[in-house]
Amino acid sequence: MPCERKPMRYGHSEGHTEVCFDDTGRFIVTCGNDGDVRIWESLDDDDPKFITVGEKAYSLALKNGKLVTASSNNTVQIHTFPDGDPDGILTRFTTNATHVAFNSIGSRVAAGSSDFMVKVVEVSDSSQQKTLRGHEAPVLSVTFDPKDDFLASASCDGSVVVWNIEEQTQVISWPLLQKSNDVTNAKSLCRLAWQPGMGKFLAVPVETKVHLYERGSWDHVSTLSDDLLAQPINVVSWSPCERFLAAGCVGGLLTVWDVNSKLCVERQKHEKGFTVCSLAWHPSGSNIAYTDTEGCLGLLDGLGTSTADNNTTKQVATKNPAKDYDDLFDDDDDRLMDEGLSDTKSPAKKAVGWDDDDDDFLVPATGRVKNRGAFLDDENSLGGEVLCSVAPAAAPAVPLRPVYEGPVPTPPQKAFQPGSTPAHLTHRFMMWNSVGIVRGYNDEQDNAIDVEFHDTAVHHAMHLTNSLGHTVADLSQEAVLLACPSTEELASKLQCLHFSSWDTNKEWMVDLPKGEDVRALCLGQGWAAVATSTLMIRLFSIGGVQRELFSLPGPVVCMAGHGEQLLVVYHRATGFDGEQALGVQLLQFSRKRRQLISGEPLPLSQKSYLSWLGFTAEGTPCYVDSDGVVRMLNRSLGNTWTPVCNTRETCKSKSDHYWVVGVHENPQQLRCIPCKGSRYPPTLPRPAVAILPFKLPLCQTTTEKGQMEEQFWRSVLFHDHYSFLSSSGYEIDEDAQNQSQKEQQELLMKMFALSCKLEREFRCVELAEMMTQNVVTLAIRYASRSRRMALAQRLSEIALEKSNQMQEEEQEEQEEEPEYSSTRRAGGRYSRRQNQQEEQEDEEERGEELMEEEDRQEMEPEEATETKKRVNPFAKEVPGSGKMSASSSQPRVTNILDNMTSSKKSAQLSSSGGKPSKSPILKPLAPKPKTKTQSTLLQMAATKTANKKVQENTEPAANLQKRPDTPPPGPPAENSENKRPKTGFQLWLEENRKSILADNPDLEETDVIKEAMGRFRTLSAEERLSWTERAKGQSGDAADLKKRKRAEGGEGLENENEKAEADESSAKKKKSLDTSSKLSLFAFNRN
Amino acid sequence: MDASEVEFLAEKEMVKIIPNFSLDKVFLIGGDLGPFNPGLPIDVPVWLALNLKQRQKCRIIPPEWMDVEKLEEMRDLERKEDMFTPCYFKSLNIPNSSFCPQLDNLTLMEINTIRAFLLDTLNCMYKLRSNLQ
Repeated sequence: MPCERKPMRYGHSEGHTEVCFDDTGRFIVTCGNDGDVRIWESLDDDDPKFITVGEKAYSLALKNGKLVTASSNNTVQIHTFPDGDPDGILTRFTTNATHVAFNSIGSRVAAGSSDFMVKVVEVSDSSQQKTLRGHEAPVLSVTFDPKDDFLASASCDGSVVVWNIEEQTQVISWPLLQKSNDVTNAKSLCRLAWQPGMGKFLAVPVETKVHLYERGSWDHVSTLSDDLLAQPINVVSWSPCERFLAAGCVGGLLTVWDVNSKLCVERQKHEKGFTVCSLAWHPSGSNIAYTDTEGCLGLLDGLGTSTADNNTTKQVATKNPAKDYDDLFDDDDDRLMDEGLSDTKSPAKKAVGWDDDDDDFLVPATGRVKNRGAFLDDENSLGGEVLCSVAPAAAPAVPLRPVYEGPVPTPPQKAFQPGSTPAHLTHRFMMWNSVGIVRGYNDEQDNAIDVEFHDTAVHHAMHLTNSLGHTVADLSQEAVLLACPSTEELASKLQCLHFSSWDTNKEWMVDLPKGEDVRALCLGQGWAAVATSTLMIRLFSIGGVQRELFSLPGPVVCMAGHGEQLLVVYHRATGFDGEQALGVQLLQFSRKRRQLISGEPLPLSQKSYLSWLGFTAEGTPCYVDSDGVVRMLNRSLGNTWTPVCNTRETCKSKSDHYWVVGVHENPQQLRCIPCKGSRYPPTLPRPAVAILPFKLPLCQTTTEKGQMEEQFWRSVLFHDHYSFLSSSGYEIDEDAQNQSQKEQQELLMKMFALSCKLEREFRCVELAEMMTQNVVTLAIRYASRSRRMALAQRLSEIALEKSNQMQEEEQEEQEEEPEYSSTRRAGGRYSRRQNQQEEQEDEEERGEELMEEEDRQEMEPEEATETKKRVNPFAKEVPGSGKMSASSSQPRVTNILDNMTSSKKSAQLSSSGGKPSKSPILKPLAPKPKTKTQSTLLQMAATKTANKKVQENTEPAANLQKRPDTPPPGPPAENSENKRPKTGFQLWLEENRKSILADNPDLEETDVIKEAMGRFRTLSAEERLSWTERAKGQSGDAADLKKRKRAEGGEGLENENEKAEADESSAKKKKSLDTSSKLSLFAFNRN
Repeated sequence: MDASEVEFLAEKEMVKIIPNFSLDKVFLIGGDLGPFNPGLPIDVPVWLALNLKQRQKCRIIPPEWMDVEKLEEMRDLERKEDMFTPCYFKSLNIPNSSFCPQLDNLTLMEINTIRAFLLDTLNCMYKLRSNLQ
C-alpha cells in the first residue's frame, strides 16, 4: 500500500496525547501530559504555537474555532482557536474528564469523566447541560451520533452504551470490554467512532477487532479484523469520506479498512512500536496524524492515493476531475517531490498510470490548502461525492508490506560512570565512591563542580567552576579526573587535578583528537584510563604521561579501576527483547601485564542493564544490575560471577531502589543509599549511606542447614581475596585470614554435627573432605563418640589422605620456593590426588627433591634433622615392606611416607569396599595411620604458626654458622665430615664444580651452589635419575643406620617444638587408640 | 536534678553521625566506640558527636523523630489523647544543647521558614520569663 510513514517527532512529554486537525486541515493540533496544546503548521514545524491549558491535558476537541480541552483541574475549558485565549469553563466534574467530543455541527460538546458521568453541554450556553448517568466505572470515550439524537460512550465497567440525549436514557448497552477500575488500567482506550454523514455505523474497538453496529437496529452487522493485529485496538476513526476506518493499536500498529469490502487496505507499524493513543484524519482524507503514549507525533501521508476505488464513483474519478485538480493545485515543486517519492512505491500501482493525479492530490497533505473554496465547489460539482474518490487502483490487491514481528533489538545502554546520577539533572552526583563525592551543578546561577572527600585527611574539599562543561568524573586518593564532550569548536578534553603531586603543578589537561569523545573514565593507582567514542582505551600515568592504548571490541558501557586492575564493560553485540549483550575485560597492569578476563559475556538479570561497576575495597570486581542483583567475581571458580546480594529484596516498596556506592569484603558490607521511589538519590538533602548485608541466594536458607551452608560459602567467597592479594604480592592481614579460616572450619564442623544428628553419614564424609586436617580429627572424635564407627573409619581415611596432601604441598612449596609461605598451605585444597600417579611422579621428582634436600641440608641443618626424625618411627615399624627397603636409602622423608600410605590406603579401601577377607591386614595397620596422622597433624597445626618463627630463627642462625666456616671447599667438606651419603646432586656437583668456577670465577660458595642447582635442574630427568642411582649405589645401607643415629641426636629449635608436640600427641594418643581398637573390634565382628 | 545534670545525662543518648576521618575502635569506660570509617554512619553518644562536630570532624544525622511530619503526628496525638502519650525522644534536652550546630546544614529556604518561628519562640520565652519574675 503506497502510503508514506513520516518520521515521528517529539510532541509532548511522555504520557497520553491526543491529536486532531482543525476544520481546514491546515493545522495539526495536539495535547499532552505537559498540559500544552500545540498547534503545528505541519509535521516539520519546528516552532509550534502552544497554549497552556492546565497541568495536564487529557483530551481535546476542535471545531468552529473553539478548542475544548479536558485538563487536570477537573474542568472542560474552551479556548479560542487559533489565538488560544481562554473562553470560559464549559463544565466541571468531580475528577478529571477523560474524553471530549464535538457533535457534527459543533454546537454541543460531550465529555466523559472518571467520575462515571457523561455530560452533554451546549457550547453557546454552558448552563444547558444534560447528564447521562449509568456507567459504573470511569468513562473511556464518548462520540456523537452525526444526527445528534444519540450519543455513544464506553466505560471501564466493560459496557458500551448508546444514550438518547434528549431523554437522557440508555438506548442499548453492550457488555463488550474487559472491566478495569481506571482509565490508566484499561487495556484499551476504546475510542468509539460514529460514521460521519448518515451515521449508519457505530465502530467499537473490541480487543483486536472492530465491531460495527447499525444505527437504529443496533445490530452487530459486521466485524473488521486483521490477522496481524495481536494487541488491543485503542482508537478508531472514520475517514471523512465515510468509507475507510483507521485503527491504532497498543503495539503501535496502524490499520485502515475499507468498510465496504471489509478488507484491510493499509498497514503501518509505529517506528518504535509505542502505543498509538490517538489518530485523526485530515479533512481531505489524504493523511492521518497519530500520536503515541510517549508523546510523539507522526503522520501517514499519501493515503489519498489508496483510498480510491469507490465503485459508485469509479467513472467520475477519471481524467476529468483529475484535470480539475491539476488546475487547482499547480504546485510543481511539491509534485516533483511527490513523484520522487512515488518512485519508491509499489510498481503495481505505477502500472495504473495515475501517479500524476494522485500526487497532485497529495498536495493538501502538506497542510496548505490554497483555495479551499474552489476545492469545495469542485467537490460539490462531483455530485456531493466525497473527497477521497480519486484514484482507481486495485487497492486490496496491492501486496501487503510484511511487518516484522520477531525479537526486537534492545537499544544498547549508554555509557555511564558507575556511582553517578544521570547527566541531564541540574544538580547531580558525578561520582560517589569510597574516596569521596563529586557533585555537579548546572543551573542558571552556577556551573560548578564540588569535590568532597569522605576522609578529610585525604584532601580538603574543592570547588571548581565548570567552564569546560565536564560531564564525567572520577575520584581517587591521588587525583580527580574530569572530562567533557567535544563541542563544535573545542575538542573533547580530559582534565586531571593531581592533588597528591609533590611538585607545584597539580593539574594537567589533554585534548583528545578531533572527532573523539570521552565516553567513560576511571582512575587506578598511578594511572588513569579513558574510553573514547572511537572504541579505544587510552591509558595515562597519573602525572599525565601517555601510556598504552588499545581497542575495545565494542562501545564502552563503563569502566572501573582499582590498584593495578582495570575492569571494562562494553557492548559485545546487540541484545534482543530487552536484554543487553555486554562483555567484560579485566586487565592487570602489574609488572607482568596481563588480561585476566578477556571479553567474557557479563551475566545480567533478565531484561536488566548494568547500573554499577566497581571493585570491592579488597580488589575483587563486582557489579550491580538494574534488578538490584550484586554479583562478585569468584576467582577460585574460574573467574565466574556469583550473585551475592539482591538489594531489591530489602526494598519496602516496588519503586524503591538502593544506589550502590561501595562494596567491602572485610567486613562484609554493601554500602548503598536507599532511594525512596527512585533509582537515584537527590543531592539535597544529603543522602545517608546505609549498609546491607550479603546473602548468597542458596536454597532453603530458612533451615539451619541452608543457613550454615550459605554462611560457609559466603565466607569462602569473601575471603578469596586473600589468596589473590598474596599471589599478586600484596601484604595481607594474616590474623583476619586465620580468623576467617577458623570461622569456616567451625561452620563445617557445625554442619558435620548437624548431618551426624540427621544420620546423614555420606554427607558427613563430604563435609569432612572440605575440612582441614586437624578439624577432620575433631570430626573423627565426634563420630566415634557418637558411636558411628563406619563413619569414623572413613574419616580416618580422609585424614590420612589429607596429611599426604599436606606434605605433598609442602614439598611442592619447597620446590617452588625454599621459603615457607604459610598462606598457601592454609589455602585448603579439596582436590584429591591419585596416589598411584604420585608414586610415578615421585620417581621423576626424586632427583629434584634430592637437590632441594641438599640445599636445605646446607642452609638449614636443623630442619634437615627435624625431617629425618619424623621419619624414623616408621622406618623401624615397617621394615618388611619391599618399597621401604628400596627407598630406605633415601634421606627424604616424605617419599617414604607417600609410598607407605599409598600401599596402605589401597588395602584399606579394598577392605572398606566390602571385602572382609582382607580385614586382617587392616588390623595391624589400623593404629598406625591414626597415630601417624595425629602426630603429623598436630605438628602441622603447631608449625603453622611456629614454622615462620622457626624459619626466621634458623635462617640467620644458619647464616651465622656458615659465614665463619665457609672455606672454599665449603659444604662438601662438612658433608664429608658428617659422612653423609652423597646425593646425586652432590656427585654431579663435584664433577662439575670446576667448570662452574671456570665460568664464573668470582662466585661465592653459596652462589656456586645456586648456579650448580640451576644447571642441575636443566639436565634431563633421565640424567638426573642416573646421578641419583649412582649416589644410591655409593651410600648403601650404611646410610640408614647413620640416619637413625643422627635423628636420635637431633637438636635445635625444631626438636624442642617436636617434643612439646609429642607430649600433646601422646595425651591424645590414648583416646585415638581407644577408637582404633574399637574399630578393629568392629572389623572383626563383621567377619 | 538541675538542668545541667539533666543535660549531662542526656548526652549519653546515642545519635548517628557521619565521620570524615578514620579511626580504629576506641575503648572507653562507657563502652567501645567505632571503628570510624569516613562516610559511613555510626552511632555515638551525643557528647562525642558534639565534640566532633565542633571540630568539624563529622556531620550529625538528625534522629528519626526530628522530622516535621513525625512531630506533627505526635503533636496531634498528644492533643487527642487525654492521657500521656509515649515519648519517643527520651530527653527533650537534646535539642537544647546539641542541635544548634546543626544549623549550618540548613538550606536558605529552610532557614527562612524557621526564621519567623524562631522570633516567635524568643518572644514567647521572653514573655514567660517576665511573667515569672
